[in-house]
Amino acid sequence: MQTLRYLAAAFLLMVFLASVGADFLSPAPYERQFRDHPNEPPSRRFPLGTDELGRDRLSRLLHGSRVSLLLAPAAALLAVFLAALVGLSAGFLGGWFERAAMACTDLFVSLPWLFLLLTVRALLPLNVAPWTSVSITFLLLGLLGWASSARVIRAGAAAVRGSDFALQARAAGCRTARLMMVHLLPNLRPAIAAQFWISIPVFIWSEANLGMLGLGVTEPLPSWGNLLLELANYRAVFAAPWLLAPAVLLVLVSSGFHFIFSKEDPCR
Amino acid sequence: MEPLLSLRISAGYPGRPAVLQDVALDLEAGGTLGLVGQSGSGKSTLALAILRLLHLKGGRTEGRIQFAGRDLTECGEREMRRLRGREIGLVLQSASSSLNPALRIGTQLREAWRAHADSAWEKPFELLQSVGLHADDAFLRRLPGEISVGQAQRVLIAMAVLHRPSLLIADEPTSALDLITQAEVLRLLAALNRERNMATLFISHDLLSIASYCRRVAILHEGRIVECGETGRIFSQPAHPYTRRLVEALPRIPLAASSLNLATLAARLEEDLAQRAAADVVHPQAE
Repeated sequence: MQTLRYLAAAFLLMVFLASVGADFLSPAPYERQFRDHPNEPPSRRFPLGTDELGRDRLSRLLHGSRVSLLLAPAAALLAVFLAALVGLSAGFLGGWFERAAMACTDLFVSLPWLFLLLTVRALLPLNVAPWTSVSITFLLLGLLGWASSARVIRAGAAAVRGSDFALQARAAGCRTARLMMVHLLPNLRPAIAAQFWISIPVFIWSEANLGMLGLGVTEPLPSWGNLLLELANYRAVFAAPWLLAPAVLLVLVSSGFHFIFSKEDPCR
Repeated sequence: MEPLLSLRISAGYPGRPAVLQDVALDLEAGGTLGLVGQSGSGKSTLALAILRLLHLKGGRTEGRIQFAGRDLTECGEREMRRLRGREIGLVLQSASSSLNPALRIGTQLREAWRAHADSAWEKPFELLQSVGLHADDAFLRRLPGEISVGQAQRVLIAMAVLHRPSLLIADEPTSALDLITQAEVLRLLAALNRERNMATLFISHDLLSIASYCRRVAILHEGRIVECGETGRIFSQPAHPYTRRLVEALPRIPLAASSLNLATLAARLEEDLAQRAAADVVHPQAE
């Protein structure tokens, strides 16, 4: 299990470095169209072939990975920040504030949030600049994806609220804000960090879902989502299995996150 | 002379409304009052009620709590916060769980200092030394999990007396300690009481600790004070059946050729305190 964890971490690091260095590693710019070479199979010049506009698939995959792997953590950061804000205050302050905050959280959890994302995204213009669409997509993911993390963090904060050391700190005269920042936060840091890492693959998949429906990152900027659009034509996949490269990478990356953060089964 | 602390309160929790029923206590400045009662008799409830922290455990308090000329039940939360730690210190029962496991000892002491900071933070090496702890940076860098229960208890006492409060509420500060560490903590509390003229409400179910430290004792039984007075008198002539049962339940300790019971221990302590006021209190068992 430990070996698998190291392998997964090494793989994720490799994909992350490759996506960050996409400008140097890509054989060609991601938007450059080789008009004479549309739909080419893999070759030495185009290792993963070209798409119907003659764009190099490997370059697009590398740049698409960058979009997904940099912005999913950013969205996760936003979501976990909101979750921590709501969860910590609700769990530690208790009373009517906790009830109101948790009612709001429950509402967000109960919403079919993929449909909500689709609705909100559909309300926004489709012909926006690619980087604007990227920002909007991940901002939406961050703003809508905090609720379940907030519940976990609230439970931890409520446990600390009733603890002896919180009582002792209050008896020493500590202010509530200071108690939250100095006494509560360090105790919940592992839970908050776990929520952050768990959210990343969730947001990567959410972007892929949106991208497949044409509501994610817009062309010509590649992302794993819009690269998967090509798989809609399943007959083409049989003829050209290298089209599966983004899907395989997506599955491998999410599995990598799973292996790193899943605990060893104590029963085995 | 008006007592430092004078209270008459009732307190309870949802489902257990009468944990404390019209409990009345007085404690003079610099005095030591022991509060004895069995587990669940409401001793810790009383400690939290005095500091107006009982609501954090879901409890409610009624009555009046006069402290240094003001009624705490009428103080706002802001005023109570200023008072907690600075004028009334609290040492909770469980030393190991009363320190934040994620914070270093130095950080916890600094936070307790900052709550009422009227001067810049300086590492309290002298205070640590006075409570028998290592007064060095290495100790301040340790986490609560890296120190013993006895050391944690001393850290809690140091935190509670950091601002030189006029009243210390010690809620079973020796219950989790071995006999030798118990004696050391009692000696420490006696020294702090003497040197700083700090009144102490010593809550315990350990009669020997009470007898060796407190001049007065109150017996709490089923939420009521059934007896209150000089420690020697209460333990030598217990009036209430519960107090009699308590005293009789104590094992006799064979020492030299004689057998000492609690009444003689308490009487010896009285003599000892009177004769050697300048010296540390010696735990009777150590004699």
